[in-house]
Amino acid sequence: MQEATFLILTALADRSQHGYGIITEVRDISRGRVRLRAGTLYTALDRLRADGMVAVDREEVVEGRLRRYYRLTPAGTGVLAVEAARLHANAAAALARLRPGLAGGLA
Amino acid sequence: MSGQGTVCERERLERGYRRVLAWYPRSFRAGSGEEVLAVLLATAAEGQTRVGWAEAWDLVRGAVRMRLWPAAARPRAVRAAVKLMLAGAAAELAAVITVVVTAGAVRAAVAAHDSAVVPPVTAHLIAEMALLPVAVGMWLWLAWANGRGEDWARLLSVSGFGLTTMGLVSTLAEGAAPFARADLIAGAAVWAIGLASVVLIFTPAAGRYYRPALQPARQ
Repeated sequence: MQEATFLILTALADRSQHGYGIITEVRDISRGRVRLRAGTLYTALDRLRADGMVAVDREEVVEGRLRRYYRLTPAGTGVLAVEAARLHANAAAALARLRPGLAGGLA
Repeated sequence: MSGQGTVCERERLERGYRRVLAWYPRSFRAGSGEEVLAVLLATAAEGQTRVGWAEAWDLVRGAVRMRLWPAAARPRAVRAAVKLMLAGAAAELAAVITVVVTAGAVRAAVAAHDSAVVPPVTAHLIAEMALLPVAVGMWLWLAWANGRGEDWARLLSVSGFGLTTMGLVSTLAEGAAPFARADLIAGAAVWAIGLASVVLIFTPAAGRYYRPALQPARQ
């Protein structure tokens, strides 16, 4: 899974968001490192919707413009959980192996 | 933010974004065009009047991706077939290069063996050089059309595979075959890719993805 996709799913994990909301959430989650652009976001959303991982939650009209809120589907939640567990396990393994080296380096 | 200038700038920026969004498929624009535009305007810097290069590139890339790989849930067999067809285009290109590079050597070898067959062999080589680039384009076109689930693309793929087979057989029948080993290997590789992709698009899973050739006419 690409990082942008992972972060989009993460942004939607606890509540629904509209497009601009996803962009700001992703920026916050990644501590300012990932700044999604509209083209990347909507290409990813188009695919995620087709794959049944994301669905439209509701639509609002704000200042004459359509605002669409997206949410994770149960399938999307499952995929995100599996991917997060995988990344977590990898990170834990990396840290566990680094620790003796770091300790040695510090000693 | 102050007065008239800002409104004018916004309108100019919006027109710019609309021009870039025109790259997207019509169906996507109808469903999400205004929404994307709103996000673009919300993320634009204050006082920005034109679409930045990086933004434009990001949008065009998304549009190209959507056109080439529409997000309709595509069966694994079709996805594999599309990838194979793109590989087929690359293999065909390699075959063209092989034919061009080895043409001189093949003719020389044939001439040393039997000078009578040199004219037909030369004609065959020229025909291959002319037709293979067309074949590269065909592969790309078929990859695109099959990815979209066009049923005619399946039939055209089979026809194309038939032509590839005939081309290979005619090369084998030509007296030059023993002297053009590299050409033969390249041709056989292209043929094998064609066979695999045709088999994939006619699997039952892929069949459900393709639209029926004849849809009931509705007024």
